[in-house]
Amino acid sequence: MRYFLNRFLQLLLVFVIVTFTVLVIMRMGANSPEDLAIKLAGRPLSPEESSALISKYSLDSNYVVQYLNWLKNLVFHFDLGYSPQANMPVEELLKPRVWTTILLGLYANFFGLLIAIPLAVHQAYRRDRLFDKAGSMATFIAVGIPGIVLGVFLKLLFVVHWQIFPSIGDKVYPWEDLHDHVMNFFLPAVTLTIPIAAIYARLLRADMVMTLQSDFITLASAKGVPPGRVVWKHGLRNSLFSLVTALGTQLGALLGSAVLVETLFDLDGLGSQLVVSVLGRDLFTVQSFVAIIVLIVVTVNLMVDLSYALIDPRIRQARALG
Amino acid sequence: MTDVMTPDPTTTIDDQVDARFKKVRRRRIPRFGVLFGMTFLIVLIALTVLADYLPFIRSPETGVKVNGRLQSNYKLGPGYVAWWGTDGNGKDVFAKCIYYARYTLFIGIASTAIGLVVGGALGMLAGYFRGKTDRVISILVDCLLAIPALVLAIMLVSRLDDIKAEIPFLGWMTRLWQIILTLSILAVAPLARIVRAQTMALREREFVLAARSMGAGNSRIIFREILPNLVPTMVTVAATGLGILIAAEGALAFIGVGIDTSWGFMINANRARLEKAWWATVFPCLMLFLTVLSFNLIGDNLSRRFDVREAAV
Repeated sequence: MRYFLNRFLQLLLVFVIVTFTVLVIMRMGANSPEDLAIKLAGRPLSPEESSALISKYSLDSNYVVQYLNWLKNLVFHFDLGYSPQANMPVEELLKPRVWTTILLGLYANFFGLLIAIPLAVHQAYRRDRLFDKAGSMATFIAVGIPGIVLGVFLKLLFVVHWQIFPSIGDKVYPWEDLHDHVMNFFLPAVTLTIPIAAIYARLLRADMVMTLQSDFITLASAKGVPPGRVVWKHGLRNSLFSLVTALGTQLGALLGSAVLVETLFDLDGLGSQLVVSVLGRDLFTVQSFVAIIVLIVVTVNLMVDLSYALIDPRIRQARALG
Repeated sequence: MTDVMTPDPTTTIDDQVDARFKKVRRRRIPRFGVLFGMTFLIVLIALTVLADYLPFIRSPETGVKVNGRLQSNYKLGPGYVAWWGTDGNGKDVFAKCIYYARYTLFIGIASTAIGLVVGGALGMLAGYFRGKTDRVISILVDCLLAIPALVLAIMLVSRLDDIKAEIPFLGWMTRLWQIILTLSILAVAPLARIVRAQTMALREREFVLAARSMGAGNSRIIFREILPNLVPTMVTVAATGLGILIAAEGALAFIGVGIDTSWGFMINANRARLEKAWWATVFPCLMLFLTVLSFNLIGDNLSRRFDVREAAV
């Protein structure tokens, strides 16, 4: 419990530092509050509009006061602020786009694991055979391939050459029309899945190879446990450590590539909106976006940290003692 | 600095090298991979450096002309006149790819170097002094890792123009240097983390104890005992990191916040015409892919030789 609390406070600190820094970065370069209000809005403002913006978000006070004001609005009123660029509250701007990015992330992780686990287990089980070598080569290339390159090649093959998927995919959610949803989300999801599956597979294979050489595996085989059970139960469970860590650390990278993939495949999501907002100097949208992302990343990492104890009883014990 | 790593006197250096090579040769990815990576990079660097003097590389600024007429609007496909075809403005795609490699490679190498120095220093300080220093640096690193790298990069690059206006002594910072600065910030966090872990392990080793018992101060131990032992890790991570940073540079240019003389920018500019002129998009993609792959192959080989696990993925 103390461990958990410690981690929690640390992550809270990270959240505050990051969001405050983003505010400073976004606000720097504006000379006066009026100047800032105009920069925020991205258009000329009447004096009334300008003073309304200034007083609402305390643009005339220093960074800390403005930050605390923003944080207060966020925590107590769940008010993310106002986007002068789009002329609507940030919440309304982001809400219709959130699911695009979340769905992409879920698909990538789900299918990534679905591919990576059997592949890595089989590779480790039949180590140094042809399948293992081919698999390692494939995952090595897939890890390194830049997102834009993969996306462009998939688009060239499936959209331009074979014309299986439509060229412009505006987001359609599964609860609206399943068929259209698959048509629009398939290629972006594949672009995100391939690198992440490869990363997972490489990590799991490396761990699994080590596990399968340990004594308890030999013992299990010797006492007559069937090979499938040895590998999948005894082997896999003790090899999950790096994979689970990667689930947390890769989340950030995944959200980053979502920006690229959404832009490339014209999917209207958080990522593509971020680019528009940053370029339009839309302080509150960017700030809310970063806050949401950091919150997600931090929470997932905390969960990953806790799940170590679930996987490995030894850690549970060590933490209970320490 | 060799006194720290004196080899075992019973085996010659040749023996050790042989043993290492045997180990490498038996591994999964054949040596062919490294060979390919090295060859590709050497040829690419040679072409970019000599581009002004080689007869078969046009200037990327002048358009391709056949019978005095500019071959604009993707008129020429890949062929004898323009090896990789022409783009929307009638420029030679091959020439552009070669010339733009200058910027890409320079950005990658410069930002890796800055990242190595800063990240390495932070990691060593945190790992060596531990305690409060470690706390502060670790939280800093956590913060950098909490924002997705690409999101941070987009934000920084697009804001640096305004920030430059506020802080007078940043006036020299062109777009190119903004990208380098941004990418080196991205490189700091992972490097600091790996170096910190390594330093923590190294500072407990017997040779550090020996140096300390002989009266060596902190700076001597850090620079003469620990730093030389970190070099293999740093070189390995730098090779893999170069690939990642080059891909990130392409991504920034693709989104439209990078420099215009970049493969990523070419991909973005031509991708709408993928159906009509695949060559203008595919060849920059290929260059980006092969460059990143080459650095990865070299990094992978180094990580096997030096047994650096963190850089393996």
